Amino acid sequence: MRLLLAILVGKIIAQLIRFLKIGGGSAAPGLYALKIDPDLVEKLASRIPKHVIITGTNGKTTTSRILAHFAKMSGLKIIRNHTGSNLERGIASTLISSFQLPVSNFQLGIWELDEAAFNTVAPKLKPDIVVFLNVFRDQLDRYGEVDSVVKRWCNTLKMLNLQATVLVNGDDANCAKLTKCFKGKTLKFGVRDYKIVGESIQHQKEQENFDFEAKNVKLNGLKGSFFHLQSPSFLASRSEHLPVALPLPGIYHIYDALAAIACATQLFPDTLIHRYTDTLKNFKPAFGRVERLEFGSIFLIKNPAGATQVFETIAPNLKPNDRLLMALNDNLADGTDVSWIWDANFEVLLRHKKSSKSAGVKVKTPQGCTLIASGNRAYDLANRLKYAGFNPELINVQKDLSKALQEARDGLNGHLFILPTYTAMLELQGILTKSGIKKNYWEEV
Amino acid sequence: MKLTIGYLYGDLMNIYGDTGNIIALKKRCEWRGIEVVDKNISIATLLSKGDCDLFFFGGGQDQQQEVVAKDLVKSAKGKVITSEIERGVPLLSICGGYQLLGEYYKPHKGPKLPGVELFGAYTVAGDKRMIGNITTESMFGKLVGFENHSGKTYLKKGSTPLGMVIKGFGNNGEDKTEGCIYKNAIGCYMHGSLLPKNPRLADWLIKKALEVKYGKNIELKPLDDTFELQVHQSAIRRFG
Repeated sequence: MRLLLAILVGKIIAQLIRFLKIGGGSAAPGLYALKIDPDLVEKLASRIPKHVIITGTNGKTTTSRILAHFAKMSGLKIIRNHTGSNLERGIASTLISSFQLPVSNFQLGIWELDEAAFNTVAPKLKPDIVVFLNVFRDQLDRYGEVDSVVKRWCNTLKMLNLQATVLVNGDDANCAKLTKCFKGKTLKFGVRDYKIVGESIQHQKEQENFDFEAKNVKLNGLKGSFFHLQSPSFLASRSEHLPVALPLPGIYHIYDALAAIACATQLFPDTLIHRYTDTLKNFKPAFGRVERLEFGSIFLIKNPAGATQVFETIAPNLKPNDRLLMALNDNLADGTDVSWIWDANFEVLLRHKKSSKSAGVKVKTPQGCTLIASGNRAYDLANRLKYAGFNPELINVQKDLSKALQEARDGLNGHLFILPTYTAMLELQGILTKSGIKKNYWEEV
Repeated sequence: MKLTIGYLYGDLMNIYGDTGNIIALKKRCEWRGIEVVDKNISIATLLSKGDCDLFFFGGGQDQQQEVVAKDLVKSAKGKVITSEIERGVPLLSICGGYQLLGEYYKPHKGPKLPGVELFGAYTVAGDKRMIGNITTESMFGKLVGFENHSGKTYLKKGSTPLGMVIKGFGNNGEDKTEGCIYKNAIGCYMHGSLLPKNPRLADWLIKKALEVKYGKNIELKPLDDTFELQVHQSAIRRFG
C-alpha cells in the first residue's frame, strides 16, 4: 500500500514538473517517493530479473549507454537512469516513471551509481554484475578522499551476493585491489599501450594478463579510435584479436567500451562478441559527452583526471581558427570547491607535440586560438588559463553562458570546442534547445 | 636571480589543488625574469641547509600524512626545516602540512602524532568537516580560499594567527583565528588554490625568499594582476 502511494506521489510530481516545464524530473519524484516508502528501490528492483551496476569517477554514463546499445540489439527490454542522475533518488525516479504496476516487463536494469550512492543503493538492487571503472579525485567536499572511497566500496562488496560478477579496471590499482574484497567471480579489463593508471602511488609495474584487453590502440583524432580486443576466455582462441572501431575519441573511452563489452559477454554468453562490437559504429554518445554539434563539439569536464583526458584528446586537434569555450560552475552538482582546476593539466592544451600519426603535418601552436571563460567561476577559469601559459589578451571572460556561446559563435571560422562542468552543461543544453539547435536532453534516448 | 622552491612531499601531500601554489610561485618568478626550479623533497630525499630558498607544504590524505609525519622526525628533515625558518627562509603550509608543522596531531583513536614544533599550535581530530569558501582579514589584506578539514587547530599563547576569519571556520571554527605566522613561515587552511588568487601573499613569499638568499632589500617588478584581482574580488563579493 505504502509502495503504491509512493509511486503515485512520484508520478504526480513527475507530471507536474513536465507540465510546468521546469526540468526532466530525474530527481525530485524519487526524492519525495522515498520519503513515503524508503524501501521503494528494493521492492521495485526485485521485479526485474537482472541488474548491472556501473560505478567509478568517470565514464559511468558512456559505459551504461554503450551497454544499453548492446542490450537493445539483443532485443532486451531495459530500464536505466539515463540522464546521469545517479543518486538513489535518480534510481527511484526512473523506476517510478517506468513502472506500470503490478507487472514489470523489463528484463535488465542498467544503473550508474556515483561513488557514494553505490554503497547505499547497490545492496538494494542486488546486482548480477558490478563494474568499477576508475577512482579519481572528484568533489572531495562530497565524497571524501580516494582511500576512503575505496575502503567503503570494499565493505559494500563483501555484502553482495556471491553469484554476482565483479568487473574491474585492472590498470587502476585502486580498482584492481577490490578483487580481494569479493569472494565470487572477478574479471579485469585494461589497455595495453596507453594506460591510464589512476591515483594510486604504489602501482604494480609488471604486466599482467587481463580478461579483456585492448591492444594496438590507434587514435583517429576527434573521430574515434581503433583497437584489437584480446580476451583469452571469451574469444574463441587465445591469440585471436578482434578489431574494434570505437566512434569516440580519447583513451578514456576505450576503458568504457571495454567495460561494456565485458558486461555483454557475461549477460549474453551465447552471442559472439563481434555481433555487438560491430554495432558500435552506430553508437551515439550521451548528451554533453563528446556531443557533436554542427559548429563544434561538447566535452563534459568535471574533475582533474577527466578534464586532463579531455585536454589530451582535443590538444592535437586544435587549429588556430578554432575556439575554446570553457564554463566553470561551483554549484552543488559541480562540487563547490573549484580548487580542482589547479590539479587539471590545462598546460596540455598548449603542448603541441607532433603526434606520429600526423607525421609531416606541422601542428601549429593553438596559442592563437581564442578562449572564452564562462560560468559563475569564470574569473577562476580565466586565471587558471593565464597561469597555464595562454596569452591573457586572448582570454575573454563572459560569465553569462548564453552570451558566451553567442560570442564564441560570432565570426567563427573553425571548430568550437565547448568544455562545461556538469551544471553548465545542463544550462548549455537548455540554451541549445531554446535556439532550436537540439531537443530537450531528457527526450534523448 | 634564481630561486629553488622545495615542494615538501609533493608526491604525497598535494590535495585540493595545492600544486596551484607552486604553479603561481613559478609563473610569477618567470614573468619577472627570475629563474626558478622546484624540487620534490620526499621520503627518499636528503635535505640540507641552503638547498631550498622557499618551502611549500600541502595537504594530504590521512594515510599519507602519517607516513610523512614519521619521515619528518626520522630523517631529521623537520629539524632542517625549523632551522631554515629561524634564519628567515619563507614557507607556506596548508592544511595537513600546517598540522604537521605544529606540536602534535591528536587523532580520534591512538597516540598523538608528534609534529615539527615550528608553530606554537596543536591539532585535535574533530567530528565535523569544516567545508566551504573562507575569507580572512590579514596583514596581506583580505585572503580568499576554500577550506576542507576536520582537524581543529588551536594556537598556544604567544603564537600569532595569520588572520581573523570574516567568513568560514578557520583554525577550529571557534575562536575566529585562521592560520599561524612565525617569522616568514605561514600555516593555514586555505586551499583554492590560495596563491593564484592572492597575488600579494605570493609576491611576499618570493620577495622574502630573494631577500634571505641575496641578503639585500628586493623590490619586485609589478605585474598585471587583472585576472588575479578579479578572482579575489569576486570571491569577496560572493562569499563575504
